[in-house]
Amino acid sequence: MDDEPQIRKLLQTGLEGYGYQVVTTGDGQSALVAVAQQQPDVIILDIALGSSPDGLEVCRRLRTWSKTPIIMLSVRNDEKTKVNALNAGADDYMTKPFGMEELQARIQAILRRSVVTDQTTPTAEICIKGIVIDLANRRVTLEGEEVHFTPKEYDLLCLLAKHPGTVITHGTLLNKVWGAGYEGMEHYVRVFVNQIRRKLKENPARDIRYIISEPGIGYRFVEPE
Amino acid sequence: MILSLRRYGFAALMAFGATLLLWGLRDVLTTANFSLVYLLVVLVVAVYYGTAPSLFTALISFLSFNFFLVKPLYTFFVADPRDVLDLVIYLACAALTGQLASYARNQRRDAEQRANELNILYEAAAAFNQLTDSESVYRTLDHILHERLSVLHTEVLPPISLLDTDGQNRLNLPLSIGAHRYGILRITFTRPPTSALTRLASICTSQAATVLQRIELAHHIQESESLKEADRLKTALLHAVSHDLRTPLTIIKTSASNLSRLDSTLPPPDRLDMLHAIESEADHLNKMVGNLLDISRLQAGALQINGALNSLEEVAGDVAARTWQVTGTERIVINFPPDMTLVYFDYGLVLQALSNLVENGLRYEPSDSRLTIAGKIIGHEAQVAIVNHGPSIPAAERDLIMEPFYHSAGGNTGLGLAIAKGIIEAHQGRLWVEDTPSGGATFIFSLPLTNMDTE
Repeated sequence: MDDEPQIRKLLQTGLEGYGYQVVTTGDGQSALVAVAQQQPDVIILDIALGSSPDGLEVCRRLRTWSKTPIIMLSVRNDEKTKVNALNAGADDYMTKPFGMEELQARIQAILRRSVVTDQTTPTAEICIKGIVIDLANRRVTLEGEEVHFTPKEYDLLCLLAKHPGTVITHGTLLNKVWGAGYEGMEHYVRVFVNQIRRKLKENPARDIRYIISEPGIGYRFVEPE
Repeated sequence: MILSLRRYGFAALMAFGATLLLWGLRDVLTTANFSLVYLLVVLVVAVYYGTAPSLFTALISFLSFNFFLVKPLYTFFVADPRDVLDLVIYLACAALTGQLASYARNQRRDAEQRANELNILYEAAAAFNQLTDSESVYRTLDHILHERLSVLHTEVLPPISLLDTDGQNRLNLPLSIGAHRYGILRITFTRPPTSALTRLASICTSQAATVLQRIELAHHIQESESLKEADRLKTALLHAVSHDLRTPLTIIKTSASNLSRLDSTLPPPDRLDMLHAIESEADHLNKMVGNLLDISRLQAGALQINGALNSLEEVAGDVAARTWQVTGTERIVINFPPDMTLVYFDYGLVLQALSNLVENGLRYEPSDSRLTIAGKIIGHEAQVAIVNHGPSIPAAERDLIMEPFYHSAGGNTGLGLAIAKGIIEAHQGRLWVEDTPSGGATFIFSLPLTNMDTE
């Protein structure tokens, strides 16, 4: 949903071209009604709807009764807007203008993820393009060769790899890996991520990267193309 | 009240003491001795306690002189007429010297008080002179009134307030210059203020008002300076908008209208070209709008730095990956020591600065070589060098290319480098150009390491 009819129309045309069924609305109130009635798989929500309730508020209200993945759109590219969107319960955000291909890719990633989280049986292994994380034995192999990680590095890698595509905030990473009492020590995460990257032999010059930095927010585990 | 009672008590005590002493020595001393000793007592009382107690002492001493020391003893009757003369002269002398002494005493006290007041005013003026914000003016005023005038409490009320005049200990003074009123200072004293105290407080208050006006004027001047700067920028901005933004707009517009009118007749490859042109020009336009916004924010000083300890190598990685995504070729070599320390900076902003520098460097990088991003720690700063192997930049142009809207021979809007420079300088860092030893330009930016301690 977006308050600009032209953008609404373009998105609808584009997404239908990828084979999705699209329902559009132009204001927050009708969006809430539409979600309740249509039960969509993904919601794409503009942050500034120009009317009340705005996108963030709609997102917050949706989260009180719906777990449907939400991608928020905004023309503002500052960290605060993104953090606000994530805090309001959004799963992802995109800055306008963006390419349809990227939006489609994000939707796919989110849908994959929601399928994965629906499975309740825990997996014993995480396999991502050359990397195999053996959760039972806490062993990591890269292209068949074992890579040694310290316990903290392993925990950090695991936490990120278990949620591919999702931004995990610095705060969450610190809390889950280091425990409580490390607030404000975000640079620990950076140092460890740097080490993990070296061990995974990332090559950013060829865009071979597993861990992507989201400035001011956190990290996201991705599968290199 | 109690204080003045005590004064009279002391005065009486001294008179009686003197009497007791003289009574003991009455056989050795003459009447002249008695009156001199009594005069001394009156003088001392006058100097320490003022006129009224001294007159009081004169009277008591006169009576006890008469009663205890002048024959016949223990009556107020005086036998010898010469003694009567002595007594009368004594009383007159005592009254007169007492008056004179206490007058001198009052003079001294006034002079001291005036000196003290001058001192306070001088201190206040010195303290006020150094202030540059109104908040500290109020703080300093409060401090002076507390410390030097023993004021119990001060409070600044809005210029238009309903004033209740309850209590004699309160004083409401306007903080005003001419017709302009900054507020009302309400002072609460520990007891009703004397006129001297009131005068002093109001002088301090009007001094504070003068300083408030000075600060306000300074703000106005600063404001008009930045307005002038903003105006200059706006002119440059308009210039850039009319020249540089129109080109991509024209391409988009022409391609779109071609497509809508000639759609069926155009061969598919041409159609695709036009579509790609629209997409890439839109990206170009988006980028320019972003640049214009950034530069105006930088120039207005409205940039907010969300600093944290970050890895410069991570930033370099992001830039390199983005280049790969856009070009699909490996054009960048990253070279950082494995133990490079983290540096305090705003990740998003430095990412932007580095991408601008890299983008600029790649524009001149020969297709058969690669741009290097190298990091190192030198002394108290972290340095990142962006090394390209294209043409060198003449020394005369090195500073110019980092000015906003500098049009280089390539005809670019020339905002990228200015933005990078602005961002780096906002981090207390530096950006400069050197020659690459083997030919080409090396842009180096530095960020201070000292900020790490403050985190």
